[in-house]
Amino acid sequence: MLIKKKNRQGGEFSTASMADITFLLLLFFLVSTNIDVDTGIGLALPQYVPPEEQNFAPISKDRLAAISVNSNGDVLLNKKIIAIPQIKENLTGRIRSKIDLPKKKKLVVSIKTDRQTNYDLYIRTLDQVKGAFFEVRDEYALNHWGKKTHSSDQLTKEQMQELKDKIPIIISIAEPEQINK
Amino acid sequence: MTFEKKRANTSPGIPTASMPDIIFMLLLFFMVATTLREQDIFVKFTLPEAKAIEKIENKRLVSYLYVGKSGRIQIDDNIVQLKDIQNIMYKKRVALPPLIVSLRVDKSAKMGEVTDIQQALRKADALRINYSARRKE
Repeated sequence: MLIKKKNRQGGEFSTASMADITFLLLLFFLVSTNIDVDTGIGLALPQYVPPEEQNFAPISKDRLAAISVNSNGDVLLNKKIIAIPQIKENLTGRIRSKIDLPKKKKLVVSIKTDRQTNYDLYIRTLDQVKGAFFEVRDEYALNHWGKKTHSSDQLTKEQMQELKDKIPIIISIAEPEQINK
Repeated sequence: MTFEKKRANTSPGIPTASMPDIIFMLLLFFMVATTLREQDIFVKFTLPEAKAIEKIENKRLVSYLYVGKSGRIQIDDNIVQLKDIQNIMYKKRVALPPLIVSLRVDKSAKMGEVTDIQQALRKADALRINYSARRKE
């Protein structure tokens, strides 16, 4: 018997469904991607020092802004009672006056809380402090380069560095006090 | 003069041959942009709101620490005790030195607990933290 070789017409496979398959994959990644960006208030904690080695460097009063928040939600700024939304105004002036001072004379903001203080209050306070620093930075950038800091891609690296040098954000979280049991 | 209508010689219709390529490109973008890190969250919390917030630039550096309404602490997929935080974070810190710890703390939490966690983080030398907060309108 003679087996005839089948005549095949061009060895191709249809690519029509390729698009569908890739769409499916695309959909999967679309769904599993979380585009929402994480936002928050950044902070660098101080290095841990054992209590017996701690020595308190005195800070002169004119460069210190001490904020304390107690468990009732009262806020003290340099021992005077203040409402949280006013902290920003209060600090911007002081930060502004210290722009041209040397590094060792910049403003230090210290935040102290009670163990019973509400976390939300603390964040609102910290928000005000950060906001004050950001506002002065914005002003400085606007006056010198006509740009805002928020469009950080527009500021060059040197400009960012200058901002950091002129208006450093120094926030000190007070060392928790030892409770004698 | 007579005007003749010009007719295209080719058959009408959009060529779909390059469609898969275009979609592949989209696919690639999403594959690269995706961070497959879906965690089950066991604790309940509402984030506080703030105005002066920053974006976390590099998500791969972030490790989350959740503190819920009930005061329970979760790291990754486990509920942990306060005393374990130091060890866990130290290991993470060694594996990834520029680690950022994002604290997602319920807004009704007390500062005492947050301070304890911060002390643990300081002992673990994980000093870059971020208080997670939503943007206030």
